[in-house]
Amino acid sequence: MSLLNIDPPVTIADPIRANISDVDRDPRARLTALFDPGGVLELRCPEGTGVVTAIGCLRGRTVVAFATDPAIQGGAMGRNGCEAIVTAYRTALSNHAPIIGVWQSGGARLAEGVASLDGVGQIFTAMTKASGRIPQISVVLGPAAGGAAYGPALTDIVILGPNGRVFVTGPDVVRSVTGEDVDMARLGGPEPHGRRSGVVHVIADSDREALGRAGEAVDLLGGAGAIRPAADRRLGELLPESPRRAYDVHPLIDGLLDEPGLELHARWAPNLVTTLGRLGGGTVGVLANNPLRLGGCLDATSAEKAARFVRTCDAFGVPLVVMVDVPGYLPGVAQEWDGVVRRGAKLLHAFAEASVPRVTVVTRKAYGGAYIAMNSRSLDATRVFAWPTAEIAVMGAVAAVRVLKRKEIAAVPEADRPALEAKLAAAHEAESGGVGRAVELGLVDEIIAPDRTRSAVSRALAAAVIERGRHGNIPL
Amino acid sequence: MAEIRAEMVANVWKVVANQGDAVEDGDTLVILESMKMEIPVLAEGAGTLSELRVEEGQVVQEGDVIAVIT
Repeated sequence: MSLLNIDPPVTIADPIRANISDVDRDPRARLTALFDPGGVLELRCPEGTGVVTAIGCLRGRTVVAFATDPAIQGGAMGRNGCEAIVTAYRTALSNHAPIIGVWQSGGARLAEGVASLDGVGQIFTAMTKASGRIPQISVVLGPAAGGAAYGPALTDIVILGPNGRVFVTGPDVVRSVTGEDVDMARLGGPEPHGRRSGVVHVIADSDREALGRAGEAVDLLGGAGAIRPAADRRLGELLPESPRRAYDVHPLIDGLLDEPGLELHARWAPNLVTTLGRLGGGTVGVLANNPLRLGGCLDATSAEKAARFVRTCDAFGVPLVVMVDVPGYLPGVAQEWDGVVRRGAKLLHAFAEASVPRVTVVTRKAYGGAYIAMNSRSLDATRVFAWPTAEIAVMGAVAAVRVLKRKEIAAVPEADRPALEAKLAAAHEAESGGVGRAVELGLVDEIIAPDRTRSAVSRALAAAVIERGRHGNIPL
Repeated sequence: MAEIRAEMVANVWKVVANQGDAVEDGDTLVILESMKMEIPVLAEGAGTLSELRVEEGQVVQEGDVIAVIT
C-alpha cells in the first residue's frame, strides 16, 4: 500500500550510509542517512520539483520526511515542490507520524512568481494545522532563506548543521538595503542563532550529528512512554556548601535523568536550562534555573524560552520536572523595556494552562514572582517537593527586613547595622516561616532528601494521569 | 583574544586570578556579587590572562569588560 500519493515510489537500498564521513548533500542521501539503516520504505522524487519525500522507519517508529534539493535551482521551492511537502504533511497526519524536514533552499522560486509564494504559504498553513498534533522537526543543513527560513521556524524543534544558515534576506540584499557588510555565517549561522536569536534549538557539529539529533528528538517527543519508579542517585552533593554560591545546574539535570538528555536552546537564555530526556524510562521535559548564569534569575528571554518549552511538552504529553533555584526576576530598565512583563506572562500562562503532570523541586531559593512562575502550587503543579535547603519567600530575609524594619535599622549607628539586620532577618524567617510555612499551607507537599529526588519525582509522575494539552505549539 | 564581559550589574566581590596568569577553560577569574549571589566569572578558553580590568569593591555594568585572555 502506498502511503504517499505523489509519483510511483522509488525504493533504494542503503549504499551511502556506511562509507561517507559526512552526508552527501543529495536529498536522497540525506534522507537515507536520517532513517534507520535500511529503514527507508518509500522515497519519491517528483520530477523537477526539487523536493524529495520519504516514509520510513526511525528508531523503530514510522516517520515521514522531506528534503529540498540544493542541486535544483538552489533548492528553491516552486508550486509542485510545495505541493509535495503539503502532501507529506497529510500523510504524516493521517498516520499520526512525526515529520522531519531537511532544508537547504533559497526560498520561493523567483521564476514562478506569485504561484510559488502561494505554495510556500500553503506549507505554512499545513505546518500550523499540524502543530501540536504530530511532532515536527526541522534540520537545516545549508542556507535556508525567506520561506525556507519561516518553514523551520513554524516547527517544534529546529536543528542546525555546521553549514546551516537561516535568514529572511541574504547578505547581498542586506548590503544593498542597509549598507551592512555581513557574511552568511554572521547573519544566520550557528553563532547568531545559537546565542542571540533563539531561532535554533540545537546546534550540531556535523550533518550526520544534526540528522541523528532529529532522530533523538522524534524519539523523545513521539514516544514519550510510561514512567516507572527510578532508582535514586546522590544528587545533594552537587550543590555548593554555601547557599550564596552560584553553581552550574547541568550536572544536577544529568543526575536526575536516566542519562544526559537533549538540551534545547543551550546557549540562548542559558540562565534557564530546558532539556528533554528520560526519567524512569519515560520522556520528561526538565526546566531548571542555572545560578551560574545571571545568578539563575528569570528574565524576559528565559521566560519566553521556558514558555515555549512548556507548551511543546504539553502538546505532546511529555510530563515536566521543574528544578527551582531562582533569586527572582532580573531587575532593570533594560528588562522592563524588553517586555519582561509581557514575556514573563507567557510563562505564567504556559504553566497554568498545561495539562501534563508537572512536578516541582525547590532545591534552594524560590523568591517572589519567580517562585510563582516556576510551576508553583498556585499554578496547579501536580506535586511540589522541597529539599531541606529550600527557602521560599517574597524576597531574601535580609532584603525583607530592610524594607519592613527600615526605621529601626536606620536608628542604629551604621557599624551596628549588619548585626541588627542579621538578627531581624532570623526573627523574620522564624515568623514568616520559610519552607515550613509553605508546607503548612500545602504549597509544598513534602520535604525530601536530595538523594531521594529521582524516586520521589518518578513516582509522582508514574502515579499521575498523563493528559495532553489540546493546543498548537505557536513559536512564542 | 577573548574578552570576558559582565552579564549583569554586579559588585566585584573577589578577584581570584592575577594578570599574567596562565588560565584554563572554566577557571574562576573573579567572583561577582549580585542578587545576593556569589557568581563566578569563568575563563572562556585557555590562554594568558593579559588584562584584568576590575578591582574588588568596584561596580560593573552589564557588558563591561572584566578580563581579556590572549
